[in-house]
Amino acid sequence: MPTLSMILNGQEVTVEVEPGDLLANVLRDKLGLIGTKISCGEGECGSCTVLVDGLSVASCIYPALKAEGREVTTIEGMARDGELHPIQQAFVDATAPQCGYCIPGMIMSAKALLDENPRPTREEIKEGISGNLCRCTGYYQIIEAIELAAERMAGKGGAA
Amino acid sequence: MSTRVLGKSVPKKDAATKVRGSRKFPQDFDMDGQLHAKVVWSEYAHARVLKIDTAQAEALPGVVKVITAGDVPVNEYGIIIPDQPVLVGERDKVRGLGDRIVIVVAESEKVAEEARRLVQVEYEPLPVVSDPREAMKPDAPLVHDELGDSNVFRHIKIRKGDWEKGFAEADVVVESYYATPYVEHVYMQPDAGIGYIDDQDRVTVISSAQWPDHDLRQIAPMLDLPKEQIREIVPAIGGAFGGREDMHVQHLLALCAYCVRRPVKMVFDRSEVMITTGKRHPWYVKYRTGATNDGKLTAVEIEIISESGGYASTSAPVIEAGTSFSAGPYVVPNAKVDAYAVYTNNAVTMAMRGFGTTQSAFIYEMQMSKLAEALDMDPVELRMKNLFRDGSIGLTGHAMPQGVGIRETLRESAVAAGWKEKQGHWIRPDLGPASAPHKQRGIAVACGLKNVGYSFGSDDRATVGVELALDYSGEIERVTVLSGACDVGMGVQTVLAQMAAEALGVEYKQVRVSMVDTAKVPDSGSCSASRMVWISGNALLGACQEALGKRDEILMAETGETLVRAEHQFRGLSVRETTPYDLETGMSVPHFSYGYASQIALVEVDTETGETEILKFWAAQDVGKAVHPEMVRGQSAGGVHMGVGYALTEEYIQQEGMAKTTHLSDYCIPTVMDMPREFFSITVEVPDPTGPFGAKGVGEMTTLPTAPAIISAIHDAVGVWIDEFPATAERVWWAMQKK
Amino acid sequence: MWDEYLFPRSVDETVEMLAVHGGEARIIAGGTDLAIQSQRGRVPAKVMVDISRIPGLDQVQKRDGLVYIGALVTHAQIAASPLIRARAEVLAEACGSVGGPQIRNVGTLVGNVVNALPAADGAMALFALEAEAEVAERRGRRWTPIANLYAGVGRCTVDSCEAMITQVRFRALGVEEAGAFERLAKRRALILPILNTAVVVRLDGGKVERARIAIGPVATTPFVATEAAEGLMGRKADEASIAEAAGLASQAAEPRYSLLRGSAEYRKSMVEILVRRALTRAVAAASGEEGTNANS
Repeated sequence: MPTLSMILNGQEVTVEVEPGDLLANVLRDKLGLIGTKISCGEGECGSCTVLVDGLSVASCIYPALKAEGREVTTIEGMARDGELHPIQQAFVDATAPQCGYCIPGMIMSAKALLDENPRPTREEIKEGISGNLCRCTGYYQIIEAIELAAERMAGKGGAA
Repeated sequence: MSTRVLGKSVPKKDAATKVRGSRKFPQDFDMDGQLHAKVVWSEYAHARVLKIDTAQAEALPGVVKVITAGDVPVNEYGIIIPDQPVLVGERDKVRGLGDRIVIVVAESEKVAEEARRLVQVEYEPLPVVSDPREAMKPDAPLVHDELGDSNVFRHIKIRKGDWEKGFAEADVVVESYYATPYVEHVYMQPDAGIGYIDDQDRVTVISSAQWPDHDLRQIAPMLDLPKEQIREIVPAIGGAFGGREDMHVQHLLALCAYCVRRPVKMVFDRSEVMITTGKRHPWYVKYRTGATNDGKLTAVEIEIISESGGYASTSAPVIEAGTSFSAGPYVVPNAKVDAYAVYTNNAVTMAMRGFGTTQSAFIYEMQMSKLAEALDMDPVELRMKNLFRDGSIGLTGHAMPQGVGIRETLRESAVAAGWKEKQGHWIRPDLGPASAPHKQRGIAVACGLKNVGYSFGSDDRATVGVELALDYSGEIERVTVLSGACDVGMGVQTVLAQMAAEALGVEYKQVRVSMVDTAKVPDSGSCSASRMVWISGNALLGACQEALGKRDEILMAETGETLVRAEHQFRGLSVRETTPYDLETGMSVPHFSYGYASQIALVEVDTETGETEILKFWAAQDVGKAVHPEMVRGQSAGGVHMGVGYALTEEYIQQEGMAKTTHLSDYCIPTVMDMPREFFSITVEVPDPTGPFGAKGVGEMTTLPTAPAIISAIHDAVGVWIDEFPATAERVWWAMQKK
Repeated sequence: MWDEYLFPRSVDETVEMLAVHGGEARIIAGGTDLAIQSQRGRVPAKVMVDISRIPGLDQVQKRDGLVYIGALVTHAQIAASPLIRARAEVLAEACGSVGGPQIRNVGTLVGNVVNALPAADGAMALFALEAEAEVAERRGRRWTPIANLYAGVGRCTVDSCEAMITQVRFRALGVEEAGAFERLAKRRALILPILNTAVVVRLDGGKVERARIAIGPVATTPFVATEAAEGLMGRKADEASIAEAAGLASQAAEPRYSLLRGSAEYRKSMVEILVRRALTRAVAAASGEEGTNANS
């Protein structure tokens, strides 16, 4: 069985994978990181969003071996020493999560957006989550959470 | 009344684990030694199963068992009537693509997947009935030949006053034919779970569900076991919207665990969810409304044909609820209504947000919009002339109970949207110029009302327990709320925690709400009918009162006990009576309590392509008491999201019972870019004296006025009525061509 | 799914790998489409040859008046590229409309072309730009017009089990030259189009010197409305001539009924609307009314 070596949430990780494994399944089933969710299975809803070298990707259609040597960030990599990342805290404070299933993907998309554009307009925020579906919230409180996160992170001198 | 915790948008109890991604949904669980199961689904919408050959599948290395109909102790179930087979055996019929033939249980998901492809099934196709209007005809193929000689299994009649006279007195009569579409819940978390035998020999299921106790009451007879030997744990639910009221995996997981005595995990992929799980009932409606020139409704005549798919599920209560609201929140003195629930071979229809009242809201509000046009009267004004007040007589002859906030919701949303009121007349706002020469603007309003709690004499009840941990001086240190209320995402656990904190005089952070585990918490009934806040909240307050009483006794007696437990059952019938439909007249006191909503859509229609964009949207909901204002706003936006999809983009397409939209990419729920550019949520509080702290419910009513508001606004913009929706660009375009 | 996953380090190594595996191996770039097709059992190849580590294929460059886009350049990169936005904005528009951010971050333009679907947004713009593709095969490399790559729905004349496309190129748009992209879809993001069109026009003192109109999905491959474009040539670029061209394009397009996309009649009518809108914007941009592509 081939092995996949990547820098996962800041740590070097090596794991045995099947050649045809998709990144989402490796994260969930082989590495126990269940925060990345599978919803549509065809990269069309964003629930499985993780970052690869800082870019948001749909991990349910991303071949695991493609991540060889790359930096992969999942929702589990957001909190530091147990403390919520400002984006996560903003989601809590803005009452954004309802059922919560889309939320890890939304947060990862928000991170990708704010890392590249720390002061996005509302329209840019919407573009940034245009690949993430939510059935519970109507999106408004998620947009507000990202606005709040941007405000707070800018106040501290930039994205964390 | 000033409150400490109530009315504050506190951090939700489940928010932290959800933003961390650590909150486990059913598919996130794994157990040592677990097996994996996959279902072999029916390939036909209507067929007799001649032969099932499992030999090849069973021979595949890693396959542990192929469960067939013969392995099921009692091979039937159903949320109300047991008309569904768990597994379809040889010589039995499949009635839709959601029927199951066998379940393959294997060492890995991969092997199970491979094995299910090796199961060979021989079918004898039967004639498919795919239109309920055809299914009602005497010579139509019967979906359930064992149940009777008609596909119609429920007929509700309302005969109120003298409708012929009412129509004779009308100056204007609007007659329309409507067809509402099949739509899908699209909860983001696909159905999944694990079944196992726990250390007390109980058949246990970890899954998402809306009514665990009811699941047990279907699983127990299926396995021919006492209810106490079945257990269900609901760790988290990734959305439901009614779609998890019926069981999709729970009974299958129980059956697997029962058969193999090992943990068995099952996860549906999105296509399985889309093809096999329940959808919203389509309605085919003929609607006549009569009114006088000064805008008073005189009569309605309505025929509703509601499509059930292959199994009854909750089709009867859906048609009961929907019919009771079919004339809307308006005083209508004369009415003739006939509503039918009809079997077909299309996808099974089940509960979905609104439960028949959503379809009702579409038809009665489109009628009101058309009436306003026919009378050349402002749409707000026309509605104000007819809307309910406290004590108004409803369609089934009952008086509306205190707390009717519909007028307040219409007034507040209309004023927010720019309407002006002058001496009882309402004047619409100026919409400003369209953003391009080929676009036209339109604005429209719609109202809706929804029952809170179960209806028609149903003994709706919930039991909630509280545990108080006291410190040495008798002060409450910690509170645990023990409730079977399933949090589908709307935040009921947070609401219960807030209410407990308020009632017990403690801090919100001192209260925790237990996970739903039928072995450990009492039955709070279903998370549906927008009932959880009202009914579980009332039960909780009763339990808190009792707990405080017990605590006082302990202090007085100085026993030194530090744990207080109390449980209280609240019955809806104890505060308000409801009665079933009279078989001939349809008269009844249908519901305990009601929630009210009004919404306004400002749209721009592209006259060349037919595309509709929603520029602004106002949603006003009367919730009695907003326990958590931001959560109410979230329900408002979420309900509107479903309504936007219903109105404009969502179509579940079938041909002769075969699903054509089988992937999420085929079925368009609104993305963030499809939502109204500006959204205003207005919360109105007209208390229900029987509700906990005056609260009603909110979960469903926020989706009722959305589609009619948008589709009426399209008419306001380009002058076409869309009676069969979604109002996709192409439908609007055709309507404009035909004008 | 597949049984082996390989990372060649050069184009030559890639071609060699494909040859060695004799049809059992195929190229994977971003894989956004391949993973889904493979799950549905539609990809017979059992060996994936992942080209994402080959240096030099991720460039967007301009050389001698031509814009070169490497095989690994993603839709997101194109949508954000200052060069593309300056010299071929129609392509940036088209690529920016594909899917959502997650798809655009991984999906490549060249991969989109190889997919050979008649409605591919990026490919539509390449047709309007009269792009060429470089094919790397065992016997060497060659350039071929993009239209030659399309054999039918989902069938590329370049077999991904034998050869690879290393880059595409097209002439950078110059002074008085501009393009525009229009799209009609069932919702505003994360969706395939019901109809799309890309146009490029070159003006000379208010008259149309050259025009190109590509439309999809109205045939098994991207459809170039030659009659409509030729009808514009030499004429004043105004409302009347644009309307006429749009009408001709609509007449020539023959979309078929699609259960999920809509009726033939509606889509045929929409061809006229979209082409008219695209031509109007392109002409305005080329005339300098909206800001041009012409700044180097």
